Amino acid sequence: MATFIFNRLAQTIVVVLAAAMVSFALFRYVGDPVNNMVGQSATLAEREAMRQALGLGDPIVFQFLRFIRTALSGDLGISYRFGVPVKGLLLERLPATLELSVLAMVVASSLGIPLGVWTALHRRSIASQLLLIASLVGVALPTFLIGIVLILIFSVWLGWLPSFGRGATIAIGSTWTTGLLTLSGLKSLVLPSLTLGLFQMTLILRLVRAEMLEVLRTDFIKFARARGLADHTVNFDHALRNTLVPVITIIGLQFGNIFAFSIIVETVFQWPGLGLLVIQSIHFADVPLLASYLVLIALLFALINLTVDLLYSVIDPRVRAGMASASTRGGP
Amino acid sequence: MTAPSAMREPDTPWWQSSLVYEFSRSPVAVLAAAVAVLLTVLALGADLIAPYDSYNPASANVVDARLPPGAVGLFGDRYLLGTDPQGRDMLSAMIYGLRTSLLVGFGVVLLAAVVGIVLGLVSGYFGGLVDTLIMRVADVQLSFPAILIALLIDGVMRTVMDRAMHDKLAVPVLVLAIAASYWVQYARTVRGLVLVERGKEYVLAAQVTGVSPARIIGMHILPNVMGSVLVIATINLALAILTEATLSFLGIGVPPTRPSLGTLVRIGNEFLFSGDWWISILPGIMLVALSLSVNLLGDWLRDALNPRLAGT
Repeated sequence: MATFIFNRLAQTIVVVLAAAMVSFALFRYVGDPVNNMVGQSATLAEREAMRQALGLGDPIVFQFLRFIRTALSGDLGISYRFGVPVKGLLLERLPATLELSVLAMVVASSLGIPLGVWTALHRRSIASQLLLIASLVGVALPTFLIGIVLILIFSVWLGWLPSFGRGATIAIGSTWTTGLLTLSGLKSLVLPSLTLGLFQMTLILRLVRAEMLEVLRTDFIKFARARGLADHTVNFDHALRNTLVPVITIIGLQFGNIFAFSIIVETVFQWPGLGLLVIQSIHFADVPLLASYLVLIALLFALINLTVDLLYSVIDPRVRAGMASASTRGGP
Repeated sequence: MTAPSAMREPDTPWWQSSLVYEFSRSPVAVLAAAVAVLLTVLALGADLIAPYDSYNPASANVVDARLPPGAVGLFGDRYLLGTDPQGRDMLSAMIYGLRTSLLVGFGVVLLAAVVGIVLGLVSGYFGGLVDTLIMRVADVQLSFPAILIALLIDGVMRTVMDRAMHDKLAVPVLVLAIAASYWVQYARTVRGLVLVERGKEYVLAAQVTGVSPARIIGMHILPNVMGSVLVIATINLALAILTEATLSFLGIGVPPTRPSLGTLVRIGNEFLFSGDWWISILPGIMLVALSLSVNLLGDWLRDALNPRLAGT
C-alpha cells in the first residue's frame, strides 16, 4: 500500500513539475520578458537594469525555483491580452466551467444509468437495440457538431433556448457567480450541458448495461429469484447496487474528460468559462495565461487521478492485493 | 524462414482467405468499406473530381456568397451543395477538406503506430528499466484525454512559432500534436503481445541459433503483432480525423486558407442564425460519414481477427 501511494505521488509530482517546466520555458523564452515590461522608449541601460532586477542573468535553475515560488504564492503574472493578473481571470471564469461540467455529469448519469438498466433488462426489445445503435453513432459524432445541431434545432428553428452566453448570473460571495438561480441562466445551461453530457451518457449507458448483464448472470441473482423475491427488488436492490462501484469510478474518472471537452462546448456556445479563455489565449498568444492554465490542468488531472486510484484501492480489495504492479486502469 | 502470419494460412491467395469471406458476409462491413473507399477516392482525386479548385482564389465569387444547395450563381455557375461566405463552391471545399482530414488522419496513424510499435517491441523484448520507463510515460499520457494533449501541444507550438512559420508547418505540427497521445495504445498492446511471443519456441530457437535481437524482433515477432496493430490503427484513424476536425473547428488546427472539414463547420457556425445551415451541416455530415464508416470497419476487423489472434 505504502509503495503504491509513494509511486503514485512520485508520478504526480513528476507530471506537475514537467508542466511547470514547460510553463516556465514559455514565460522565459517566448518573447522577451523585458520587452513585455518596459515601454518602447526604454534605453539599453534601463533594459539591462530591468534584466538584472528580474534576475534574468541568474543561473537557469535559480530562475526556475523563483518562478515556482512566485507561482505558489499565487502570483501568476499579468495577462498580455487583458492587462490584469492571471489569477483573478482564472478565478473569475472558474464558476462558469464548474457549473457546466457538474451539470453535464448530472445529466449524463441521471439519463445514462436508468437507460443502461432498462436496456439490460429489456435486452431484446427494439427500443433498446435502437438505443445501442444510437450510442454507437454517438461515438462518431464530434462534440462540436452535436452542439451546432442542437443550436440549429432549438435556437434557430424553434427559438426556445439561447445559443450563447450564461444568461443573467447572480453573485454569491465575492468570487462565485451562478446561473442556477435565474430563469435565463437556467435556460442558457440546457444546451451546453446536454452537449457536454451526451457523450458521457452513452459511455455510462453502455457500461451500466454491460455490468448489469454480467451481474444478472451470477448465482446470487438466481438464488434471489429462487427465493421468490420480487423482480423489482432483485433488479434494483441486488443487481443495480452491485454495478454501481465501477460506474461511480468511471464517473469520477470522466470528470477530467468533461473538463477537457468543456473547452469545445464553451467555444460552440461562447460560454464564458476557462475553456473559452484558454482558446482565446492561444489565438492571442497570451503566454502568461496559457502557461498558468497548463500548470493548473496538470494539477487538476494529477489530483483527479490520485483520488480515483486511492478510492479504487479502498473500494476494491482485489486492487489492493495486486497494487504493487503498475497501473490498475486500462484503456483511455 | 519466416514466422507464420496471423492473417492467413500459407499457400492460399489473399482473396480466398477466410477474412475476405467473412467480410463479404457482413453487410455493415461492406457498406462501411464502400463509404470509406468512396470518400478516400474523392479525397485522392480532388483535383479531378471537385468542380472548382478551392485553393485558387479566383474560384471564389463574392457575389455568389452563401447560396443554398442547388443554386445557380450570377455567372451561371451551378453549385450543387451551395456556396460558403466567400462564394466558394461547398462541394469542392468539402472534397478538398476531406483530403486534409485524411492526410492528417493517416499522418497521425503512421507516426503513432511507428513510434508505438518500436517502443512496445523494445519495452516487451528487453524489459527491465527501459520497460518501466516507457510504460510509466505511457501511464501518464493515458491519464490525460487525447484531445487535451493535442490542444495544449498545438497551442504551445502556435505561441512559440510566428504566424507565417506556423501556417507553413501547420499540418506536421497537427500530426505531431495528435500522435503524441495515440502512440500509447500501440505501445501497450504490442508490449503485451511481445511478452507472450517472447516465451514461444520459435523465438527461443532463433535466440539459440544466435540471431540478433533486432532481427528476432523485426523478422519474427513483428509479423505476429501486426493483426492487432491493424485494428488499433483503423479505430485510431477515425479518432484522429475527429480530433483534427475539432482542433480546426476551434481555430487552432489547419490555417483558414486550407480547406478542412472542421474549418468549414467553424465558418458556417457564424452564419447559422442567418438560416444558412448548409455551410456547417454538410461538412459535418461528411465528417460523420467518414469517421463512422472507419469506426465500423475497425469494429468489424477487431471481431473478425479476434478468435484467430486468441488462437495463435
